[in-house]
Amino acid sequence: MEDKLRAYMDHLFRDVKPDRRSIELKEEILQNLVDKYHDLLAEGKTQEAAYNIAVASIGDMDELLAGLKQELPASRVYDDERMQVWRRKSALRISVAVALYIMCLLPPILLSDTRFENNLAPALMFTLIGIATGLLIYNYMTKPYYQRMDDSIVEEFKEWQQQTDANRRAFRAISSALWALIVVIYILVSFWTFAWHITWVIFLIGVAIEGIIKAVFELKR
Amino acid sequence: MSIASDLIRGHTDTIILAHLMREDSYGYKINKDIQLKTDNKYELKEATLYTAFRRLEGAGYICSYWGNENTGARRRYYTISLEGRQAYFKMKEEWDEAKELIDILIQSGEEKEEQNGR
Repeated sequence: MEDKLRAYMDHLFRDVKPDRRSIELKEEILQNLVDKYHDLLAEGKTQEAAYNIAVASIGDMDELLAGLKQELPASRVYDDERMQVWRRKSALRISVAVALYIMCLLPPILLSDTRFENNLAPALMFTLIGIATGLLIYNYMTKPYYQRMDDSIVEEFKEWQQQTDANRRAFRAISSALWALIVVIYILVSFWTFAWHITWVIFLIGVAIEGIIKAVFELKR
Repeated sequence: MSIASDLIRGHTDTIILAHLMREDSYGYKINKDIQLKTDNKYELKEATLYTAFRRLEGAGYICSYWGNENTGARRRYYTISLEGRQAYFKMKEEWDEAKELIDILIQSGEEKEEQNGR
């Protein structure tokens, strides 16, 4: 019968968002009903009669439930919107950054065999790399964090998800910085040694390093 | 009885505060005390009771905490705040005043004469 009372309360609260306040209220009223139910049994009522009396004593819950629904926050829409804006901007920034990484090879190619080969070309290239890396880092740093808008479990879950996400995000940041660094090292070493036929190995080493970092992150979790 | 319960319902807040003046309590116990005191003539609906709790909490007159019973039942206890005590005295004073006025106003002429003649 207690299960039946619980089922009845679940039914009453079916349209209410299950946040902490509504769950506590439901639990509180249910405990009240269960107490009453047992008292009625002790008075000699049958199980059926005790259940019916307990349920009948609840009364009109509309006002109470309306009070719970009312406090739905309007600010969440706003937050989602902010996230959307960031996503759009993020796509643009990443595209530009990638384009810059590719184009950074242009100055050395175009300026080879000219008198700018040894100073202006590398300088331009590093400037492009710097801008691209800066863009990527700025992009991830401006990502809006999910702020909890109310007490609901869904929100708590989202927040928790965000926190585990923070790990992944840190990894991504390190990874993008790593690759920028690898490109710089590759080009530096190549210009320095002119061993272009072998310096590409640096990229393989980069892949290995990224793998190791990833493994470290996984282990830490 | 229905007029009486309507009248009483208008004072749910005062009744709850009055119970909490004595000791911290939870919903069912307050309702049961009401039943006992009124000799089963009056009982609050759960909906009325918990709406009143939320209202009083919102006004800062009462605070709640979860008790830890050993029996496994988890009850939310309410305790009255200083503001709640002040509100209680004010409400009671208002009721006493209203009661006096209503007594005067609803007396019919006959009763008055009766009283005068006594």
